[in-house]
Amino acid sequence: MPTPRHHLNQQRRRRARADAPAPATPSAPAPAAAGERDAGPGAPVGVLTGPAPRTRRRPAAKPVPEGAGAPEREEGGGPAAKGPRRRVPLLVLCVLTLLLGGFAGWAQSRAGALRDDPARGNTALTDPARTSEVKGRTAEAVAALFSYDHTDPGAFEQAGKAFLTGRAVEQHRTLFAGVLAQAARQKSVITTTVTESAVERIDGDRARVLVYADQSSVSTAGAPKPAAGGAKAKAQEQAQDQGVYAGAMFAVDVVRRNGTWLVENIDTFGR
Amino acid sequence: MTRAVRTPAGSRPVLTVALVLTLVAGGFAAWTGQGWYAAAHDDSAGYAAERDRALAAGEQAVQNLNTLDHRRVDQGLDLWEASTTGELHEQLADGREEFAGQVRTAKTVTTARVLAGAITELDDRAGRARLLVALRVTVTTPDSKSTDKDSRMLGELTRTDGQWKLSGLGQAPVGGTATG
Repeated sequence: MPTPRHHLNQQRRRRARADAPAPATPSAPAPAAAGERDAGPGAPVGVLTGPAPRTRRRPAAKPVPEGAGAPEREEGGGPAAKGPRRRVPLLVLCVLTLLLGGFAGWAQSRAGALRDDPARGNTALTDPARTSEVKGRTAEAVAALFSYDHTDPGAFEQAGKAFLTGRAVEQHRTLFAGVLAQAARQKSVITTTVTESAVERIDGDRARVLVYADQSSVSTAGAPKPAAGGAKAKAQEQAQDQGVYAGAMFAVDVVRRNGTWLVENIDTFGR
Repeated sequence: MTRAVRTPAGSRPVLTVALVLTLVAGGFAAWTGQGWYAAAHDDSAGYAAERDRALAAGEQAVQNLNTLDHRRVDQGLDLWEASTTGELHEQLADGREEFAGQVRTAKTVTTARVLAGAITELDDRAGRARLLVALRVTVTTPDSKSTDKDSRMLGELTRTDGQWKLSGLGQAPVGGTATG
C-alpha cells in the first residue's frame, strides 16, 4: 500500500521544488488562506463557486508542507495547476452521488407504491390459469357439497371431508341439517349445478368466488303421506317428479392446501 | 496550519472513495430505476387496474338501475340513463315515460345493496366486460311495508369515452337453461 503513495509523494516533491523559485502569487495571503480554508466549505459561496478562490492560495500554502516534511500529509500540496482540477471532479462526484442516491431512493419508493397497489395483489383474471383453476374447483366442490342422493348418502359425507375445512364444516352442516332429514324421508335426489361463477379475488393461496347455482330436487318415492291427499298432493308429486328448481347465490372462500383448493367459508349473505 | 495541510492531503483517497460511492449510487439508481420502470409498465398491473375500474363502475351502475324513488323519478331515471350505454340505454330511454308513470302510480321506493360482485370476462382493448352482481333489492310500498329480494344479476359492460357503462343487464335464469 505505501509504495505507490510514496512514489507519488516523491514525484510531487520533486515537481514542487522545481516550482518553488517562482511562486505564482505573493506570499502575503498565506495566513489568510489557512484561516479561510476552514471556512471555505461552510461558506455561503456554494458548491460550484467554492473551489475558485482556493486556486490562488494553493501556491502560497505550498511551502508549508515542504517545510513540515511529513510525506503522508504532503501529497495534496501539489502545484498550482493541479488544485482546481482535483477539486472539480470531487465536487462533481459528490453532486452525482447525491443525485443518483436521491433518484434511487425515489425510484424505490415509487416502485414500492406501485407494487403495493391492492389491484395488483388481486390476481383474479390477471392470472387466467389460476382463475380458471379456482372456478373449476369451486364448481366441483359446490356440486358435490350441495347435492344429495338418498341411495348414496355416503357420497354426501365424503364430499364434506374432501372439500371442506375450518368453519365451513360447521356451516355446511347447519345449512343442510333440515334439508337432509327431509331428503332422506322423501327419498329425494338433490342436484346442484353451478350456472355462473366469478372470482372476486385471488391472493396467493386464498380466493373468493361468487357463485350462482341451480338446485333441483326430485322426489323419487311417493312422499309417505296418506293416500287420501287428493289432487293437491298429486300435483305436488308431479311437480317433484319433474324437479323443483331453485336458484341460489352465495360466495365461498377457498384456500389452497397441499395443492388442492378447499372451501373454508360459505357466505350466504345473511340468508 | 496543519489543517491547511490536511485538507489537500486526503484528496486522492477521497477522490477514490467519492468515485466508488458515485458508482455504487449509480448502480443503485440503475437497479431501482429499472425496478420502477418494470413496475410501471407491468401489463398485468394495468389489466388489474382496469378490472377493478370496470367492477366499481359496474357495481355502481347495477345498483343505480335498481334504485328508484317515486318522489324523484326523473332524477332517478336520469341516473339510469347516465349509467348505461348502447342497447340498454336506448331501451331505457324509449320506455322512460311509461315506466315513470307506473312508478308514480305505484308510489314505491326501491333501494338496492350490492352484496358481492366480480368480473368474469374482461377485454381490455375492446373495452368490453361481463360481471356478476349479487344484489339485495328492497321495495317499500306506500303503506311502509318493505320486502327484500335477492337478485342474481348478470351485466355486460362497455367502455365509452373511458367510462365503463352497462350495455346489458339481466337476471341469471333459474332451471331449464341451467342443465341445457
